[in-house]
Amino acid sequence: MMRKEVQWLYRELPQLEAQGVLTSGTVARLQAYYGPAEAARPRWLAVVIFGVLGALLIGAGIILLLGHNWDLLTRPTRAVLSFLPLLLAQGLSGWVLIRRQQSLAWREGAAALQFLMIGAGISLVAQTYNISGDLPRFLLTWAILGLPLAYLLDAVVPALLYLWGITEWACHLRITDDCNAGYWLLALLLLPLLARWLRAGRYQVRPTLLFWFLCVSLTVAAGTTIERVLPGLWIILYSGLFALLFLAGEFWFREADGFWNRPLRHFGAGGGLVLTFLLTFEWPWKEIGWYCWHWERFHGEWWRVMPDAVLGSMVPIAAIVLLVTTVRRRASLGLLLGIAPILAALGFSLATFEFSFVAAWIFDIYLLVTSIWLLVTGIRSGRQGQMNVGLLALMALLVARFFDCDLSFLLRGLLFIALGIAFLVANLVMLRRKGANHEQA
Amino acid sequence: MSRRNWLLAAFVLIAAAQLAAPAWMIFSRERTLHAGKVFKFRTRPIDPVDAFRGHYVWLNLEPNEIKVADSYVWHGGQKAFAVLDIDTNGFAIVKRLEHAMPADEPAVAVETGWAYKGKMHIQWSGLDRYYMAEEKAPAAERAYREHSRATNHTCHVTVRVNGPQAALEELFIENQPVREWLRQHK
Repeated sequence: MMRKEVQWLYRELPQLEAQGVLTSGTVARLQAYYGPAEAARPRWLAVVIFGVLGALLIGAGIILLLGHNWDLLTRPTRAVLSFLPLLLAQGLSGWVLIRRQQSLAWREGAAALQFLMIGAGISLVAQTYNISGDLPRFLLTWAILGLPLAYLLDAVVPALLYLWGITEWACHLRITDDCNAGYWLLALLLLPLLARWLRAGRYQVRPTLLFWFLCVSLTVAAGTTIERVLPGLWIILYSGLFALLFLAGEFWFREADGFWNRPLRHFGAGGGLVLTFLLTFEWPWKEIGWYCWHWERFHGEWWRVMPDAVLGSMVPIAAIVLLVTTVRRRASLGLLLGIAPILAALGFSLATFEFSFVAAWIFDIYLLVTSIWLLVTGIRSGRQGQMNVGLLALMALLVARFFDCDLSFLLRGLLFIALGIAFLVANLVMLRRKGANHEQA
Repeated sequence: MSRRNWLLAAFVLIAAAQLAAPAWMIFSRERTLHAGKVFKFRTRPIDPVDAFRGHYVWLNLEPNEIKVADSYVWHGGQKAFAVLDIDTNGFAIVKRLEHAMPADEPAVAVETGWAYKGKMHIQWSGLDRYYMAEEKAPAAERAYREHSRATNHTCHVTVRVNGPQAALEELFIENQPVREWLRQHK
């Protein structure tokens, strides 16, 4: 039973016992069976959030104050002052490690402040010496120097800032067409920390937050590190990545409840549906495949091929391995969303031989089947969210295809009205059914 | 040693590494500013706002277009070294472009741009910002624009070059340091 349900049951138990519905022995046996109910949302979370916000604001304030660049100060004085914010933050973190190691709020706040002050220190020296420098190198230095804080202070904010830093670094190197495949090795440095938090409790706030950020970061990085040589590879990679995220969330993080507590499942499903919608158009399938290799991009640099070869194969293969497990478990939603990389590979092969319209059709049918399945099973199981996702996907597909056709404004108008009515009716019926169930209960 | 002591020892090491990064920047710049050879570059400043590092005057060093005999071996966005010399007016000129840092001649790292009919555009990407106080940078920019309409090329910067390191030293308007010039032209 999920955490919310257990909490509800525990709230009801005293009343049920008082009314004589359950005996005190049954209540005790129920409590022994389900174990202790976790706190709904710990109060310390608010303290941590405000602690981190406070630290970030103070850090930003110090950066702006010093960034004012007082002309009265000499260059050596300004150089020495540049160390001051970092030294203060380090002092605070040291004090927290010695005196307040048990307080998550102190650890998160101090670590966030120190992370920011590393960047501030480097920036202030750069300002003092007119160093315009190179932004990717600055970001990488900052991120690497800040990462150990996540481990030493057991804090999530430096891990998130580190992820932001390496993602930005990868994006900047992509713009200048330099090697950014190192992102994947840098991201791996977070794994021991994630493993430690997962062992302590896989549905706690810190691993959940890190998973959300990881999903975003991996999605951005996947796009920036591949397709140096093989056009269209992004289609296979992204369909594999979203399927992998969804299936991993479905298998290993099934017991969590609520939208935000299941980052892998929901990010993977959302990303997969958006990607599927994009692939129903013909433009992504144009001029891709083996006949469009960028031979000129080799220049004898091995790294241009590596991300395409490793990511383009490993990620979809990992997703397909999980899909096989899904078939064994007979999880129909997993099967439906997990099949996307196979269809993408099929579409890619067809598009290579200039059958791009067939590839788009395949995804038209795939999105149609998926959306109807989501809609129907959502209605049957009384899951309004799932029903609406199915309805939205179906509407997006219909609207996109009807815009492709040369229809009159009258027909288009009628279609929109019909879709709007369908949306309203489905939700009203669902609400009424839920209301009836509630009254019966 | 207990777990807590290990943790503290690791923290001290990490803190030292964090301090070492800006300390190294200071050390290498100070060394260049003290031991480097001075070059004067003509420049045209404009003033954007960099939210991260306060205000600065954005410099456009000259020459930004040079003659190269082998323009076909270069492509845009490449790192190169501009080998420097001084013309009869005392300003820096670029003798030639090299792929690697020459051993016995002063050179500054630049980025290549477009190449056309034996000419190549270069960007002095490490020397394009001169930081000033928040209220002075826009004033310097305004003053420069008004001034440069009447006269031509009266702005220059001094750059110290020491081995592969180049450090911007001062921005001059009409041969006066910019802060001094601003004080006199308030």
